[in-house]
Amino acid sequence: MKKIEAIIQPKKLDEVKEALLSIGVEGVTISEVRGHGRQKGHTEMYRGAEYTVDFLPKVKLEIFAPASRAEQIVEAIRTAARSGKIGDGKIFVSSIDEAFRIRNDDSGDAAL
Amino acid sequence: MLVLLASVFTVLLVPCMAQQDSKPDPAGLATGDKTTVVDAGGNPFLVSEPADKNAPNYAQGKKDADEFQAQAAKEPLAMKLADSVGHIRVATNFAWTLNTGYLVLFMQAGFALLTCGLVRKKNAAHLMMLNFAAYVFAFIAYYAVGYAFQFGAVAVNAAPANLGGTPTLNHFLLGSGLWGFLGGKGFFMTGPAYDAGSNVLALFEVVFMETAGYIIVGSICERISFWSFLLCEMFVGAILYPIYGCWVWGGGWLSQIGNTLGLGHGYVDFAGSSVVHAVGGFCAMALSVILGPRLGKFGPDGKARAFPAHNLVYVVIGTFVLLFGWMGFNPGSTLGATDLRISVIAINTNLAAIAGSATAMLFWYAKFGKPDITMACNGMLAGLVAITAPCAFVGPTSAFIIGILAGFVVCLGVLFNENVTKIDDPCGAISVHGFCGVLGSISLGLFADGTYGAGWNGVGATSYLGQAGRGVTGLLYGDTKQFLVQVMGAAICVAWAFGATFIVFKVVNAVRSMRVAKEVEEEGLDVPEFGLQGYPEDAISISATAV
Repeated sequence: MKKIEAIIQPKKLDEVKEALLSIGVEGVTISEVRGHGRQKGHTEMYRGAEYTVDFLPKVKLEIFAPASRAEQIVEAIRTAARSGKIGDGKIFVSSIDEAFRIRNDDSGDAAL
Repeated sequence: MLVLLASVFTVLLVPCMAQQDSKPDPAGLATGDKTTVVDAGGNPFLVSEPADKNAPNYAQGKKDADEFQAQAAKEPLAMKLADSVGHIRVATNFAWTLNTGYLVLFMQAGFALLTCGLVRKKNAAHLMMLNFAAYVFAFIAYYAVGYAFQFGAVAVNAAPANLGGTPTLNHFLLGSGLWGFLGGKGFFMTGPAYDAGSNVLALFEVVFMETAGYIIVGSICERISFWSFLLCEMFVGAILYPIYGCWVWGGGWLSQIGNTLGLGHGYVDFAGSSVVHAVGGFCAMALSVILGPRLGKFGPDGKARAFPAHNLVYVVIGTFVLLFGWMGFNPGSTLGATDLRISVIAINTNLAAIAGSATAMLFWYAKFGKPDITMACNGMLAGLVAITAPCAFVGPTSAFIIGILAGFVVCLGVLFNENVTKIDDPCGAISVHGFCGVLGSISLGLFADGTYGAGWNGVGATSYLGQAGRGVTGLLYGDTKQFLVQVMGAAICVAWAFGATFIVFKVVNAVRSMRVAKEVEEEGLDVPEFGLQGYPEDAISISATAV
């Protein structure tokens, strides 16, 4: 089982959501985060003092899927979220030890 | 009967006196005297000799005037007291008009809250700045030329007697007599406008202009650039609003077609359903068409996407503030507390407000299963807009009905723009102010019951439709011509507001796009346009945390 974690531009969320739905991925958790990679923030002026807007709004998606599907999901996200400019984001894939459904006794791939 | 005659002759005499006595009164020391004393029925204290020696009742009128002169000679103290009474009457009306004007000014805050709450969080600062800068820059334009254009000739046909008549504002730049098109005195609110009475009028009227100015924010927000917004505001304050405003309130030709073309009392709009709201609403429509919809508003299949309000708390509070301010907007338009119709106006205004809101809530509940809070608020505003023209001339039942009609119009209007015309109107300004403004104008032509407004626009001072003291009357009470002139005036308003705006800003947009860049619109306009965020949770930076 794999966890696919993607940090994307907020404006790409709708496209990514559609792309995931179209390949049959129904479960996803999103959170609004702030951050930066090599994309720098920018400097603004407030009443005579300069400040830097360092951490830019991003959206993080977390998807848990069987290992066999991981590559397909990564490709779907990458294609939908790509604009070609710095700030597009990153996708990380890690391994998951266990998964359980709370509603019943499902575990492993059946719980995904 | 002779009392009414006397008042007519006095009204005819006042302009003559105005032309002789044309010095501005900046200290207010010469405004309000025995000539401004009237009783509750509007009958002047001073009985003057009839001007027209050939009038049928001239002999009786002359006898009354002579008798008055004899009495005045016997009681000089009474005449001196009359000067004080006249002064206090005008002073009462100064206080009334200024204070109701301040209430209207406060509506700026209400509209800012309302519109900010209705848009997306990333544009909160942008909305606030649009509303704020609107007040500032439209005022500059109106101060420079707008007031003079609108009211520079008001003393010719529409002298505000309640405020002392502003006799120095007596010249049309374009047109003359009963066919005035543009006023020409009082530029930069100085010279003939540096006058106590004129300043009251200016304060009251500038905040009405500002209302038309901020209405457009509701339609053009979330994609208009600041520089082009300032141009829009100055255009509204200098040209768009004052010109139609001159025609209707400044003694201009539309107000006088009762005299010139025999059409009822001429075009009537008590507090501005057309002059303020329809002008704003259709200007907004033209700008929205030129700008185009917000990115992502309409999907590839043309279906509208929802951009939910980010703060309903602001929306509701903003609406309440607007309702409160409307207590200045409508009753204040008497320009005087000595006109006791103010209470009827205040109640009519509230009746239409609640009827509009209830209708919108129940309509939405019935059609979609839940009452939409934003439509409940828009419904109240729709009722308020629609009652603004007829508020002084109708009874409470009509006011309630007008509110109901407005509730339907605003709901259907919003759905119409969203699903049929595809004109993107984030705050519903076109439906609330444009469509319901027209409804207000036409409602006057239907529901005015003749109990108020005798002599309006110089028509029917002695009698109207065969009845002495009859006021402005609508179709349902027997005056077809008034209905026709209302429809005509509303149509001219729409054509003017939409047409002039469209022509001017199509050119501006061709020279340079009035819309912000795509990336700016996606990010939100707060930082790219103003360097500040409405909700700066992002200002976590090294320089800010350094102590």
